[in-house]
Amino acid sequence: MFKRHFDKIWVQNLALLTLLGLAFYYFAFVFEFKYDFDWTIFVKEGQYGHMGKLLLGGLNTTITITLYSTVIALVLGTLFGLARLSKFKPVYYFATCYVEFFRNTPLLIQLFFWNFALPYAFPVELRMQLFELNFEFWMATIGTGIFTGAFVAEIVRAGVQSIPKGLLEASYSSGLNFSQTLRKIILPLAFREIIPPLGSEMLNNMKNTSLAMTIGVTEVCWAMQEITALTYHSFEATVAATIIYLSLSLIIAGVLNLVNIKLKIMPSGRKPLMRKVADTIFAPLGLLARGVEYVLWHLRRPADASKTVSPLRRLLRRSRKGFVLAAKAAFVLLLGVVLLKALVAVAGFNFQVIADNFVTLLIWRFPGGSETEFFMGLGGLAGALLMAAIAISGSFVIGLFVGMGRTSQNRALRVPCTMYIELIRGNPLIIVIFWMYFFIPIILKIDPHVFWSATIALTVFFGAYIAEIVRGGIENIPPGQVEAAKASGLSYFQTMRKIILPQALKQMLPALVGMFIAAFKDTSLAYIIGVMELTRAAYAINNRIMIHPFEIYTTVALMYFVFSYLMSLYAKRLERKLSPETVRIEM
Amino acid sequence: MRVLKISVLAALLVMAASVAFAGPTYDRVMADKVVRAGVSNQGIPFGFINDKNEWVGFDVDMATEIAKRLGAKLEMVVVNNNTRISFVQTDPPKVDMVLSNMTHKRERDKKIDFSITYFFDGQKFLALKGAVKDVKDLANMRVGSMQGTTSIINATEYLKKLGNPDPKVTGYDGEVAMFEALRSGRVQAITTDSTILLGYAAKEPGKYELVGDFISDEPYGIGLPQDDSAWRDTINFTIQDMWADGTYMTIYNKWFGPDSDYPFPMTEKIEMWP
Repeated sequence: MFKRHFDKIWVQNLALLTLLGLAFYYFAFVFEFKYDFDWTIFVKEGQYGHMGKLLLGGLNTTITITLYSTVIALVLGTLFGLARLSKFKPVYYFATCYVEFFRNTPLLIQLFFWNFALPYAFPVELRMQLFELNFEFWMATIGTGIFTGAFVAEIVRAGVQSIPKGLLEASYSSGLNFSQTLRKIILPLAFREIIPPLGSEMLNNMKNTSLAMTIGVTEVCWAMQEITALTYHSFEATVAATIIYLSLSLIIAGVLNLVNIKLKIMPSGRKPLMRKVADTIFAPLGLLARGVEYVLWHLRRPADASKTVSPLRRLLRRSRKGFVLAAKAAFVLLLGVVLLKALVAVAGFNFQVIADNFVTLLIWRFPGGSETEFFMGLGGLAGALLMAAIAISGSFVIGLFVGMGRTSQNRALRVPCTMYIELIRGNPLIIVIFWMYFFIPIILKIDPHVFWSATIALTVFFGAYIAEIVRGGIENIPPGQVEAAKASGLSYFQTMRKIILPQALKQMLPALVGMFIAAFKDTSLAYIIGVMELTRAAYAINNRIMIHPFEIYTTVALMYFVFSYLMSLYAKRLERKLSPETVRIEM
Repeated sequence: MRVLKISVLAALLVMAASVAFAGPTYDRVMADKVVRAGVSNQGIPFGFINDKNEWVGFDVDMATEIAKRLGAKLEMVVVNNNTRISFVQTDPPKVDMVLSNMTHKRERDKKIDFSITYFFDGQKFLALKGAVKDVKDLANMRVGSMQGTTSIINATEYLKKLGNPDPKVTGYDGEVAMFEALRSGRVQAITTDSTILLGYAAKEPGKYELVGDFISDEPYGIGLPQDDSAWRDTINFTIQDMWADGTYMTIYNKWFGPDSDYPFPMTEKIEMWP
């Protein structure tokens, strides 16, 4: 009875409106904020300057870092992604090391390393000159660029590898040469594979720039904190930053959406409106590409007319071989020098410092902590792992229901679920942590320990991401199965529980392990609100010792790396078990 | 399923255990016999983590003594320059008092209340020994300070007065990052309250020196929730009692006395009410 009524759209709309009305009523009339809102701080000149201008300056910096680091990430990602396919082993190993190392350590630790430890690797005069050049800004830009580059490299590699070997064989046997095959067969297909995940990586990159705050770059998050500290209007400042990040995310997502529509293969007769818009916007790019194609076509070398080769050409060919060989040798030599330098640097470490503080880094003060600390002073690596485990278990439950809600036909479920997902995914984790830490306790009138605040923030944050994975898993199940289930009289929940989820969850497992790695790395952000996890423990130790940042941050980076890498190996094995066919493409 | 239910219940219990009740602070502290203090853990020598991983410092000792005199248990909460105001500003306040080398300013007094001054400091500059011959040299140097403090604004105005229309003052995230900036040479001088500068300069004795005079007065007060006079009186009286019976100077000398790591002579007197 109830169910049948709920199928009607107007009932669903009414339910949504009622929910909205209830929330509005509660916050407008029942709930007491006990907080004097003052939004004018953004438009008037205060005692400490103009806050609106401060925030706009932050926006400017955020956009600048995002653009520069995107370019760096694309260049590095393409280079290393292709290098990962190389048959020349040193190049392959080097690229693999780069990708695995930067993907499996937290960006925050990387930024600390670049900013605090790297300068000591240079001689004093050079260091002084570097510091003249807006050092923090460039370290933040290059640091996020290198970090994102590792992810882009994997996307590029996966895109190129996704092309079936048979296509290549077919193209070679129909007489196309290598560059033609690359241009006409591999790249167009690979691009379709690469562009969507690349887009979401760009979005992540924008959000990651918020971490630049921690090394003193004046971007949006920094401005938000500064406004809070100068005017004590933390609520207004956080709302403003949230809106800025959401709009940036929306803009980027909009562009990505257009690109995806443009890339979709659809019949030319019935193009929807959005495709036409996308076509017009991307028309200049298409013209450009066609121009390049034309030039390339006419520049191409004419086929050899005879079997004899002129002496000049033979010399050229031979010297080219020599050149490649020399380049390879130079590369190996360079790699050797870098490795040697790194080894010498590591050998010069003060290992006593590491040994003295290793247990502290592992468990912090457990079990000797005071009563006010979390669980007898548990922290460090153990605390980070515990936090990640709790957060992922919680967010799995959230993700399961919200993901199902988002695929639901019922508007009253779908709209709130979609809003939750997009709202959370449009913001950096730092912002979510700030919300959970400062405002949720006030609104709900509870006062959890800072460890729980951070864990709840992580749970809510990753819940949105897991919901998207769940949705993908559910939508991958062929619709015929749902119809068959319905026809045999199973209810919605029975269908989900007995048919769809068992299959979907199996497919999702590797992605879920990936999420766990991400959550483990992101526990480092709890540092900002003072949870004694690994990063904060390292910070506290560095604060005390001061003169051995290299030793401490390298140790911490290695600790993060070992755990993340082991888990990513496990994820890879799972993936291989679940999809046995992977053919490595030869370039 | 049962395991799930039990774990959810357990999680709820843990959260409920830490639920705070609203109400005037004095009554609550006296009823619960628990006083929550916000203290920094990265400001040597006020609140920091020592080589035994213990949280110590002048502010920690002050908070411990105040709690002892109130007959309450002390619960310390980490605050930093950006959170120290908002933690007593929220309703109910996250902490009952904040001892985090915080200067009593009128702008801050609009949002929260302060106790009487319990420490007298002033802002100075710290630079490599011999790097600053004349105070005027500072005007064109790159200067570092901390985000969330008024030191940036004081410094910018001071450098403008010295003759640089567009001074470069960077706000780093906390004391550690600020000192690291000086050590690695990315700034040539750092500026904040002189005792903090002394605390960090003591890490590498003989390498750095304080330059110039105090550029501002920094009277430290204990941050307290707004409009709670019973609580404010209690704290004020406690500080005065500590001064009167010499406990204050014992704590002071432990951290700033002539034999300590951060010698800073006491020159003023705490406000005393008969």
